[in-house]
Amino acid sequence: MAELTRRQLLATLGLAWLADTSLPRVRPFEGRIVGADQRLGHLLRDGVKTGPAAGPIERADVVIVGSGVSGASAAWRLAAAGVESLMLELEGFAGGTSSWGEDGVVAHPWGAHYLPVPEPTARAPLRLLEELGVITGWDAAARPILQEQHLCHAPEERLFHEGAWHMGLVPQTLLDAGERAEFERFLGKMDEFTHARGNDGRPAFAIPLSFSSRDAEYLKLDRLTMAAWLDEHRFTTPFLRWYVEYATLDDFGADLDCISAWAALHYFCSRRFETEQTKGSHFLVWPEGNGHLVRHMLARAKGVRRHRQAVLAITPGARGVVLDVLDASEPERPVLRRIEARAAILAVAGFIAKRLLADAKEVTVRASSPWLVANLHVRRPCEPNRAWDSVLFDARGLGYVDAGHQRIAPAEETVLTYFRAYGAADVRAARAALGNRRWAELAADVLLDLAPAHPELGEQTSRLDCMLWGHAMPRPEVGFLSATREPMNAPVFLANNIAWAHVDQSGIALFEEANTHGVRAAEAVLDGLGHRRGESWI
Amino acid sequence: MVERRFVSPTLLACVVIIATSGIVYELIAATMASYVLGDSVAQFSFVIGLYLFAMGIGSYASRFIEHALLDRFVEIELALALVGGLSAPCLFLVYTAQGAFRGALYSIVVLVGTLVGIEIPLLIRLLEFRLNLKELVARVLSLDYVGALFASLLFPLVFVPKLGLQRTSMAFGILNALVAVISTFLLPITHARIWRLRASCCVVIAILAVGIASFERITTHREATYFGAPIAFAAQSPYQRIVMTQSPRTTRLFLNGNLQFSSDDEHRYHEVLVHPAVSALGREPKSVLILGGGDGLAAREVLRYPKVEQVLLIDLDQEVTRIFREVPLARTLNRDALRDARVTIMNEDAFGFLERCRDSFDLAIVDFPDPGNYAVGKLYTLTFYQRLRERVGVRGLAVIQATSPYFARKSFWTIAETVAAADFRVVPMHVHVPSFGEWGFILAGAEGLREPRTLIPSVGELRFLTNEALPALFSFPRDMERVPAIVNRLNDQQLVSTYTNEWEEWQN
Repeated sequence: MAELTRRQLLATLGLAWLADTSLPRVRPFEGRIVGADQRLGHLLRDGVKTGPAAGPIERADVVIVGSGVSGASAAWRLAAAGVESLMLELEGFAGGTSSWGEDGVVAHPWGAHYLPVPEPTARAPLRLLEELGVITGWDAAARPILQEQHLCHAPEERLFHEGAWHMGLVPQTLLDAGERAEFERFLGKMDEFTHARGNDGRPAFAIPLSFSSRDAEYLKLDRLTMAAWLDEHRFTTPFLRWYVEYATLDDFGADLDCISAWAALHYFCSRRFETEQTKGSHFLVWPEGNGHLVRHMLARAKGVRRHRQAVLAITPGARGVVLDVLDASEPERPVLRRIEARAAILAVAGFIAKRLLADAKEVTVRASSPWLVANLHVRRPCEPNRAWDSVLFDARGLGYVDAGHQRIAPAEETVLTYFRAYGAADVRAARAALGNRRWAELAADVLLDLAPAHPELGEQTSRLDCMLWGHAMPRPEVGFLSATREPMNAPVFLANNIAWAHVDQSGIALFEEANTHGVRAAEAVLDGLGHRRGESWI
Repeated sequence: MVERRFVSPTLLACVVIIATSGIVYELIAATMASYVLGDSVAQFSFVIGLYLFAMGIGSYASRFIEHALLDRFVEIELALALVGGLSAPCLFLVYTAQGAFRGALYSIVVLVGTLVGIEIPLLIRLLEFRLNLKELVARVLSLDYVGALFASLLFPLVFVPKLGLQRTSMAFGILNALVAVISTFLLPITHARIWRLRASCCVVIAILAVGIASFERITTHREATYFGAPIAFAAQSPYQRIVMTQSPRTTRLFLNGNLQFSSDDEHRYHEVLVHPAVSALGREPKSVLILGGGDGLAAREVLRYPKVEQVLLIDLDQEVTRIFREVPLARTLNRDALRDARVTIMNEDAFGFLERCRDSFDLAIVDFPDPGNYAVGKLYTLTFYQRLRERVGVRGLAVIQATSPYFARKSFWTIAETVAAADFRVVPMHVHVPSFGEWGFILAGAEGLREPRTLIPSVGELRFLTNEALPALFSFPRDMERVPAIVNRLNDQQLVSTYTNEWEEWQN
């Protein structure tokens, strides 16, 4: 023992010194998995023992189930006609996949985070932007004049490829002659489609989808996957395929080989609107993402919004609609309530609507993509050429957007929103795997995915929160149109006075679709109840 | 036999040191390479590969050393101490010289690798008579690897954060030289050159010690070479590195290495920035807004007018305004303009200020760095000029520094076009500033704005401008004439790439 003391002492001292000098560099960050309360959601799936409702039956004019874009849009439309709504939201937060966070130095999105300047066909979104002051007027050709500060400031996108950042998502300098030629051919083809019209005189691809041509020539593209379409047209270079898959993941959360080509081409070929103002970026961007739009609509809504409300059943009743609701606003003591309303708008995904109204044949149930969204609260040196959207080539996620990008002054502190779509065909497996991950694993995954470009990010991060979206968005899989109710622009009633409003109706999770479906459902309900609603907003 | 098994622990410690320093030099070279050349994966890979290969060369070369092994060993240690120890400072010195860096880097890696490659075989041969081969190889090589582990753990965790690259490099040079000294005591020495060897050791240690001591001066000297004159003052702010140089004739300010002004001709720039605008206003301004211009030189010109009541200066960088308020050399230049009671300084982003400001000003002077990146570029956009327009109203006037209409002609006219799109009437101007070349400004005002003909008399006598010199400012010769340009918008910022391309063309 005695003869070893000195060596032991030295070793201990050495180790202590090593630990001491290395510890300050490892500043652990905090964080948690936020949002989407699966326990409450799965109560619906697994069935809950329902006792008698507590308290008297509550009465309401119109009940809206869900506070995502569709629900908020419906409430916004009802309010304009002077009608109050009672909004029931499952989660503790509003906005659905357009929800947002406000903690930290800058508000940040938890999901949808930009809106391209809408096409003239998207009349309701245009009206919304005008209310928000984003559209300040209309020019002689009736095109919107925009408040330019809301357009994504340059530089919009950058790509990390082979060890360096490049401006733009497709930096020309990275392509060899063959790849460049293929890209040009691809863009030429997209341009051709953008300006093509079908035999019904409508544009081949339009948003909302109800405005797209129903010419069989274009509809047959729905029977091809986007991968097959690319093969058919000999688009084979890896960079181009990566770029197109980036698009299908970004808009639909799915890989090339499960997405309908007809749907995927909408990403590239449905935007024709251009003015001098939108030649740079045509993305409208706010720190809180599309939460900015939802927040405005909810603020305009008349009536009450309640959170942690699990609607268990909806039945048509003598005076309209009867809803059985599990009120979990006090999680320890959930209370069952009964609400009677004159009408209800189900602004929920098809698979939920189906559970609430088992015999509703009009509901379209879609496969939906799981997503991981992480918000990283970081402090890092000012870098003058930082882009809004930073994409890493061949990373597993879609990169990140800087929530603070639209701030005018340079700032060291910001929030980076990281997105990852699980695009493989087997969504159930991906969802189950994602649901079992713990925060520490998810956080490590996020940092690892960004590490090629930002090895230092872990040290710059003070907080990293994750949101798991089990059902982030419907997937327009190959053949999805045949499962879609036509015409898309007709209101969907699941029963008397029960309207359905959700992007599952058209199968593509775009703000314009959700907003239009919400407004349409609200107008149909207003008509049904005999309210004067004035001119349609659609 | 028992005697032959004894190897002094000090000697074994030397093996660890040798191994550690070998890896440290390699890591220094790789780190420098990734700092300067970028793409750290490639740089680390190249350096490690080249280094190991050079070690192979060294090991092979060791067979040609046949006599006086100890002498050679000491010499190699000393050579390693010098080359390895000075590797980081050398690489720092050459990194401003384009092209030289790669050459220097790979030469150093090959040289250090070769020397390290000779070391271990030589040491094994020196100890050959003390231990049998089995024991010898086991002990020396295991310690060699322990040293490697030490180096690779301590380098990122301790040496770089605590000492920095240069001091680490020189400190390990000294350790190498100490190994040389120690080995002269420990290993069998049979001839008289021992004192000469020890003396060279001392010289090498002294060189490296001086190197560590004068480390700051080396950096400053490199900057002085870069800036072309001795540095009078240097500081680092969150936004930029601020360097002021002083030679007998002139004082210069550099921000991030870009010349901002030179005291022997800045009067041309600042007189033209301020006085034609006041003349066009047709009266002395009471309230003046200066955006940028933290050096106080524009403020100095503004304060010539006795009727000026308040000057609000908005500059992002607190460090710059602090220097120009406090440092005597800087205060002489702006004649204490920033300490004048009429001047209020606010350190914030100018765009952010315009967003929240509700006051109006008679004259706004916009003097930002050139639009070389997207962060500064925001201050040259339509939205910015629209906000500016709201602050000067219909009676006020603005003047905007707009880079060189000669070197960056399209950029200059893009700025003019953008200002005009913000509902300003524009009058472009230019002047020759010897240290910059031709420089341009945009006068921006309401409908009635005209080219001014005379200076306001109360300004007194100027160094450059006279009534006679005024008309030349507004006449643009053919090689600077207006070219077609588009409006620079926040969501596009074409100006940044236009500007960057135009200047790059001149630099090639």
